[in-house]
Amino acid sequence: MLRWSGETASSIHSRAVKVFKRLLLVLGAAGAVGMLARVRGKGGVPPTTGGWRELEGPEFR
Amino acid sequence: MTTALVVGLGAVGTRAARQLIDTPGIDRLLVADRDAAQLAEVAEAFGRDAQAVDFAPGDPIPDGVDVVVTALPTGVDHPVVTAAIAAGVPVASSEEEHDALDQLRVLDRNARGAGISVGIGCGLAPGLVDALARHAASMFESVDEIRVARTGWAGPASVNTVRHERRVPVRTWHDGNWREDHPHGDSLVWFPEPIGAREVRTVTGGTALLVDAFPEVGRISVQLGESPKRTRFHRRFGDDGEWGAARVEVWGRRNGTFDCTVYGVVERTAVAAGAVLAVVAARLGGALQPPIDRPGVHGLGALVDPVSFLAELAQRGVRAAAFEGVAVA
Repeated sequence: MLRWSGETASSIHSRAVKVFKRLLLVLGAAGAVGMLARVRGKGGVPPTTGGWRELEGPEFR
Repeated sequence: MTTALVVGLGAVGTRAARQLIDTPGIDRLLVADRDAAQLAEVAEAFGRDAQAVDFAPGDPIPDGVDVVVTALPTGVDHPVVTAAIAAGVPVASSEEEHDALDQLRVLDRNARGAGISVGIGCGLAPGLVDALARHAASMFESVDEIRVARTGWAGPASVNTVRHERRVPVRTWHDGNWREDHPHGDSLVWFPEPIGAREVRTVTGGTALLVDAFPEVGRISVQLGESPKRTRFHRRFGDDGEWGAARVEVWGRRNGTFDCTVYGVVERTAVAAGAVLAVVAARLGGALQPPIDRPGVHGLGALVDPVSFLAELAQRGVRAAAFEGVAVA
């Protein structure tokens, strides 16, 4: 009886540790992604359609 | 007859000296550098067009000089500018670090009292972008925001300044007040091709010069691109230096609507800075029309007439471009 109870407690304990480890792993991964995003910076928005035209003529008069 | 003294013959100073030699109104060019070998080499390359002189920061300005040009490492300009004001000679400085710029701005009262015009931040950014911002602002009834961004560096001293600016706490002009903050992460900015998208970070840089020139604008920010990761020993600067780019966005109201004008420029940073420095110096010395006579210490947003200034730079190969498109942001 004691042996049976002991095994149950051990099994439950082992499952809790596994969940805790997975939780730590997920949090760590999320933190790493967050740090990477912060280091790499926020993405800008392309200025889009159009292009660059050299200043000349009326702009210089 | 105009005599110019160029102090500092690094990446920017050498190119400024070359531009001044090619300016018809400059009759005599004196050059000085703390590195005797560099001074001798440059003087020999320029031949009879330039004369090497024994001058160091802290020395009085030699007799007969009509304009002083400084292209020195951060913080070394101050004694030269002070000596020039004392001698009654206008100065053009390529200083770009914010603390050093503030130290030069403090000399404003002295310069006004002496009736001497001093141009500071005469480079790509600060410098050319300030004139571009002035040009863009003239198209608006009221300006709400100015955003300036630059990527690129002129030489080793410029790289050190870029690294320093990106590391230290940032002062930005926000809703008409200074706001201090720690450097945030980078963001992407689109420069003209072939530079394209580059990561930049908000820095203090020449913000104060823009605030002086545009006191009515509520928000002004300056962003600076990443400095090279290569070590000092592996870094190599070619004869023409490294490519750089600058961009200025001016947001405001015109014809009853909120609108934006975007200007950009791509050029080798040292070449652009040297050309800007030389044109400002030539105008301060009266060797180039229209001459600049605005006593005090100013950035280029307050010192130059943008139209004639940009036209002169375009003739010297430094051409600005306007972005024409529809922003989706």
